[in-house]
Amino acid sequence: MSVYASSGSPVARPQQYHTLPTALISQAEQQDRSLKSTELRALANYFRSGAKRLEVATTIGAHASEIVEAGANRIFYGGSPMAYLDPPFNRDQLPGYTLPPRPFTRSKDGQTLNLNLKLPQYGNPLRGFSQWLQTQLSQDRDPLPDGFRPINISRYGVARMKRSMRDLDWFLRYVTYAIVADDSSILTVNARGLRGVIPEDVTEATIVALREMRWRTLGYFQQDAEAKAMIQEQFDALIAAYQVEKPPVQLRIGVSNQQQGLKLPESYALAATTRPKFVMKPQMAETEKQAVIKAAYRQVFERDITREYGVALTELESRFRSSEFSTKEFIRQLGKSRLYRDLFYEPFTISRVIELAVRHFLGRGLYSLEEFQQYFDVITQGGLSALIDALIGSTEYTDYFGEETVPYLRGLGQEAQECRNWGAQINLFKYSAMARKLPQFVTLFGEYQKPLPNQHPYGAGNDPLEIQFGAIFPDQDQDGGEHPAYYKREHRRILIHCDWQNGNGAHSIWQSVPGSEHRVLKLTSLSHRPHPTADVDLSAPSPTAVIQAAYRQVFGRDLLADQRLTTAESLFKAQQISVREFVRQLAKSRLFRSLFWDSLYVTKAIEYIHRRLLGRPTYGREEMGRYYDIAAKQGFYALVNAIIDSPEYSQTFGENTVPYERMITPRGLEMRLSPQMRATHRAREEERVYEGKWMKAALEHHTSAEYHAHLNGKNGKLTAFDLQQVKGNSDAETVPFTPEKNEVEHPNSQADQIQPAAEPNQPSDPGYVEASVSNQAG
Amino acid sequence: MSIITNVIATADREARYLNVEELNAVQNFYAAGRDRLRLAATLAANEQRIVEQATQRFWQRCPVTPSNSGNPTFQSSCMRDQSWYVRLVTYAIVLGDIEPIETSGVRGAKEMYASLGVPLTNLVECMRCLKEVALELLALDDAVEVAPYFDYLIQGLKP
Repeated sequence: MSVYASSGSPVARPQQYHTLPTALISQAEQQDRSLKSTELRALANYFRSGAKRLEVATTIGAHASEIVEAGANRIFYGGSPMAYLDPPFNRDQLPGYTLPPRPFTRSKDGQTLNLNLKLPQYGNPLRGFSQWLQTQLSQDRDPLPDGFRPINISRYGVARMKRSMRDLDWFLRYVTYAIVADDSSILTVNARGLRGVIPEDVTEATIVALREMRWRTLGYFQQDAEAKAMIQEQFDALIAAYQVEKPPVQLRIGVSNQQQGLKLPESYALAATTRPKFVMKPQMAETEKQAVIKAAYRQVFERDITREYGVALTELESRFRSSEFSTKEFIRQLGKSRLYRDLFYEPFTISRVIELAVRHFLGRGLYSLEEFQQYFDVITQGGLSALIDALIGSTEYTDYFGEETVPYLRGLGQEAQECRNWGAQINLFKYSAMARKLPQFVTLFGEYQKPLPNQHPYGAGNDPLEIQFGAIFPDQDQDGGEHPAYYKREHRRILIHCDWQNGNGAHSIWQSVPGSEHRVLKLTSLSHRPHPTADVDLSAPSPTAVIQAAYRQVFGRDLLADQRLTTAESLFKAQQISVREFVRQLAKSRLFRSLFWDSLYVTKAIEYIHRRLLGRPTYGREEMGRYYDIAAKQGFYALVNAIIDSPEYSQTFGENTVPYERMITPRGLEMRLSPQMRATHRAREEERVYEGKWMKAALEHHTSAEYHAHLNGKNGKLTAFDLQQVKGNSDAETVPFTPEKNEVEHPNSQADQIQPAAEPNQPSDPGYVEASVSNQAG
Repeated sequence: MSIITNVIATADREARYLNVEELNAVQNFYAAGRDRLRLAATLAANEQRIVEQATQRFWQRCPVTPSNSGNPTFQSSCMRDQSWYVRLVTYAIVLGDIEPIETSGVRGAKEMYASLGVPLTNLVECMRCLKEVALELLALDDAVEVAPYFDYLIQGLKP
């Protein structure tokens, strides 16, 4: 079995359909700006028309069956199509169906709005003859296409009939959703590509039915132009999306041997369509050109640099505006600018520089190790500018961005993502990518080449000794992506009950053993008693005590009376079997099997059994691999035998000692505490964390200043005056006259007077001493 | 996820039309929409002022902080981030949902600031100042509306 590294994949949730507000905000967010006035107006309109939208949606909902019936009657004949429409299956009360959380509703005046609602009714037989007449007599229905022949219900078949009716109902439902959202993307996402699934001869009929449904729906809003426009828009979008022959998948351009050529389904691609791409054109207005320039800055520098640094690369900008530079050339010049070098070259290692540059100029992460090696050659020979030339001169750049498009991030929605760099790529596209100094792709690709080292299956960096109950719990879980050193058998740890006397391995007087919580029980047989004449030997445990200890160790608790293995017990008491044999029988009991084998996954089961019988957790993949092998090929009983017959068991416990846990570390013990106890424990240990040297120095100044102020009787409140005093500014006199100053009069002399008497350990505070010395000098 | 997306996803899961409860929720969302837009626009228009005042207040409370060290880059990037967060809050107000704050403002932000050497306690204090200044600008009703978004942000950045 070969196991290789994973890229640490986060879950990706593309937003597949939008509502008007989310669409606008996704756009604004991409461009790092507030909502424009046009967008605000669109939103205001949207909210204003809200009542109307709901009215339309409710009306459609209430007349759903009529509308669907109208559509169906147009294309079917020879029966009642509505008989084939099942009402939606109500899953509310079924087991396993949990209702999703309801959205939080807030009404300002505390009153809920009464929408005059009628819920849709299905299959009402009394809907009248008048409606049929009305339909036949109306003039403005869409004409049937040439050669269209209605479908005979009985010949069409029940199953297909049911499916058709269900689909028509679905279409109508999605139209109401789209009307409420004022965005047709939900229709596009769901309807596009349906044509490929539905047989071709039905397609035309479906469109006829949809047109009929549109006509029918419009009929409910004869006088209302606004509502009509909404309905018309969404139905048209639906029909248009439905008519698309076969949705084109997004293909990756220019696939080479090193790249995985992948296709992105169109429904994913639609998620990103609201994000515009920026293309420079000479005839554009000045503001539009400005937007393109800002987009270029955002792509190359990851941020809007004019705001952050107050730098504008004015000369480059003006040449770009006057069309002297193409966009490609502008991007190249940005990459070769001093600022890019400062931001993305000098602070990083070469590997990371390459990763970031690929993001900036190609809009993606590295594909493979070979590709990295190529670029690494380039940058070692020609430096950063050669790398940028290579990236911008690549055919890939031309394929995707051409001369005038500003590069963009080719994330999910723009392109299918590769799985081998998935996690790293998603991290690279984050705003915080700049703060990561560690090269991600190279380390990841490097790990792909070699199988995982002999680390514990529960992950690198997790100390197996501290695994509880055969599992790790999330807050102790170390992030494997950070490349921690893993624990091995040879690592020395401090165990509990370790002191200078007993050391590792030597028994102390109370029979406490390093690494074990409880006393060790060893059965001494009657014939070997030190004082054979004595009736009671206080130093040796009785067989009953040994039995109880064995139960506790193997099962983790005392068993109930009827669960105990009486046969094994009596054999043991009669000295027919040793402790080791007794433990073996306990471990092979039905109860043990059901507790620790049947209900657990194999890794956890092995971990548990190992800990119970051998008194320590497993080390590493090598050891686990052996047990996996036994468990898979020979099963549970062989596993128990393998553990109990192992040389380690003989050496540690021998025939007559009850197994005990022997590798408990202080931290492992602490983790067995209840959460409340642990919380108080932690609160006590809370300490200040300093961020960097500067903060530390500044804080020292700060606390000493606080102390200073305290001495002067100001309850530790700090003023600008004090700060300057402490920093030892000689121009303290220029501070405007404040009451504090008046009150203090001569802080220096006062402090000097109090200092030696008040607090003996003051001189040890360097900040303070420094401050008072410089004050004296001032 | 705005309320509408949420409602649609729920209804779609159950393959039914929007029910009364959901329609009411959407109705409220529409009805409060203009208010929310107004709030967002107010915050956006006063962004500069809010950020400046908040920075001053922040420095009063935490005089020892990188942005107050006299380094212009630290200072301007601190202010930039504040305005960035104000903007995220306006997005969230328009959507009526914390999603934009969560996805681009909170997730991973702590790690980023930690690696940049910005003390998180100060960052949280800064966000508090931002909240206070922003709320002082608004009437009580509006402040009640806006406060939860800032609170969510502050909670998310707490060390």
